[in-house]
Amino acid sequence: MDVFANLTIGFGVALTAQNLLYCFTGVFLGTLVGVLPGIGPVTTVAMLLPISFTLPPVSAMIMLAGIYYGAQYGGSTTAILVNIPGEASSVVTTIDGHQMARQGRAGPALGIAAIGSFFAGCVATLLICVAAPPLAAIALNFGPAEYFSLMVCGLIAAVVLARGSVVKAIGMVVLGLLLGLVGNDINSGVRRFTFGARGLADGIEFVALSMAIYGIAEVAYNLEKKAGQADVMSRIGRVWPAWADIRHCIPSILRGTALGTLLGVLPGGGALLAAFGAYTLEKKVARHPRTFGHGDIRGVAAPESANNAGAQTSFIPMLTLGIPSNPTMAMMIGAMMIHGISPGPRVMTDRPELFWGIIASMWIGNLMLVVLNLPLVGMWVKLLRIPYRLLFPAIIGFCCIGAFAVNGNASDVLVMAFFAIFGYLCLKLDCEPAPLILGFVLGPLMEENLRRTLLISRGDPMVFVEEPISLGFLIVSALLLVVVAAPAIRRKREEALQE
Amino acid sequence: MNIRAPKDFWSGLMFIAFAAVAMLAARGYSLGGAGKMGPGYFPMLLGGVLALIGAILVGRSFVIDGERVGRLHLFPLCVIAFGVCLFGVLLEPLGLVIALIVVVLVSALASRESRPVEAGVLALALAAFSVGVFVYALRLPLPVWPALLS
Repeated sequence: MDVFANLTIGFGVALTAQNLLYCFTGVFLGTLVGVLPGIGPVTTVAMLLPISFTLPPVSAMIMLAGIYYGAQYGGSTTAILVNIPGEASSVVTTIDGHQMARQGRAGPALGIAAIGSFFAGCVATLLICVAAPPLAAIALNFGPAEYFSLMVCGLIAAVVLARGSVVKAIGMVVLGLLLGLVGNDINSGVRRFTFGARGLADGIEFVALSMAIYGIAEVAYNLEKKAGQADVMSRIGRVWPAWADIRHCIPSILRGTALGTLLGVLPGGGALLAAFGAYTLEKKVARHPRTFGHGDIRGVAAPESANNAGAQTSFIPMLTLGIPSNPTMAMMIGAMMIHGISPGPRVMTDRPELFWGIIASMWIGNLMLVVLNLPLVGMWVKLLRIPYRLLFPAIIGFCCIGAFAVNGNASDVLVMAFFAIFGYLCLKLDCEPAPLILGFVLGPLMEENLRRTLLISRGDPMVFVEEPISLGFLIVSALLLVVVAAPAIRRKREEALQE
Repeated sequence: MNIRAPKDFWSGLMFIAFAAVAMLAARGYSLGGAGKMGPGYFPMLLGGVLALIGAILVGRSFVIDGERVGRLHLFPLCVIAFGVCLFGVLLEPLGLVIALIVVVLVSALASRESRPVEAGVLALALAAFSVGVFVYALRLPLPVWPALLS
């Protein structure tokens, strides 16, 4: 009952001509940039952040969300047509998707990816409507101790589910937390870690940091790869799949959606795990698993549904708890803060129009994706042929403009240059930047909650294990660490994530 | 003693370096106690944890095998970082058009595949596009032309 009343508010906001236009712009630009080779969804969102600065907050968030799904879908398009996954979660799509493209069935592969994603998006959006209010209600009762432990748990989970070495990832989280502390300390007014630089008084600008790592450092890293001629499949064929294909895929789409909605809520590699999981599941249940890897349409439908469902439900922890589960969500949080909204359970009660407007626009955005992509595929294919030598200076130019425009502060641009070098070294050393970004966003919040908890308990740290909810979060974190350290599971994890 | 996991070794050193900077700087901020934390408390704590993680990585790199660090291509990185810095320095005195053209041209030098004429056209096109979109359509407060002229 409430859900419908809330959705009415939401659609009331999302269906205004202005917001529809921003939603459309977001989806369109997201796909446009996401399709470009070598630019994944995180980079896309980072690069397009500045265009949302001057919009009203609701429209800005709607547009950014649109950019995110657009970029996701654009990533799948490159996965199918060029065999280059836009991001880790579309790696699986390349397996059967590109084979289909080689067999001249690129059209149906793109079509089923869009249909599966749309269906998954609808289900996931409904789930958010149902699950978010009770979650936020619970979170409203959290005290500082619970919050602190929740953040610890979220960060640990993000680390465990990410790729690569867990020790390094924890190091990156801690480093991120430290970087988050730079600037004025709200409680004492002391300027920390500014080393005399006036530009750092308000802290390291999040937009500059994320553009440095996901924009500029990525460019430098991509430039050294051999620029082999991309093998673009230009024969698309009919995009709308035959009815037989669709019927063949329905069970896969359902399974992929179910898995994706569940795993997407988890921090870290939610969407990634979902896509891999869905593919493996399809292979297990298929009667003739041999066709997988040779252009089986179910091998596109399932992971694409799963990864879109996961992308959608990853909004749940961000919108209800204020905790980002992946770098894109961290950017959403950064964007909300630029517009003066502090993310957390209060957003739903204080700004219902924002909250439900975003959710309603998710559904509209997904619909737009289908409507937009099926006829525009031909244009996306042309974009795929743009050589990187023309793209990368543009990426750098836009990042520069973005970094300056957040605060109108030239020193943010210099900060960006510094972290670009740092980001490049991290990429070279296999230190995943995602945990750093998550830590950076949560740094000040963690300090504040730790400080408050210990102030109330008069310095007794036992309070974290005496409060039942807080203890629960800490136990889960510890279990996650133990589980990932266990050799058998570690091997499985590496297999699953590195395939 | 041989370094068997160079990537871990260098990552560990990087963490230790950051931790050292953090802890040295945090010495200047009052620590306070757990019950009444000063501005130095949490950074000190994090610095300690980071140093510990760095030490684990370094120690472990002598025992378990790991990947080598790939060759660093510093030239493109430095060219791009330099271009970005130039943008930061030039934007306020000279305006968006000139700063953007400079950063695009300089960063194009980072790739051997870039062609001069193409990069020039790209720079002009991007400058026109950015002024149109960011300054006129989105009304971001960016200076367009050199400060002396306006």
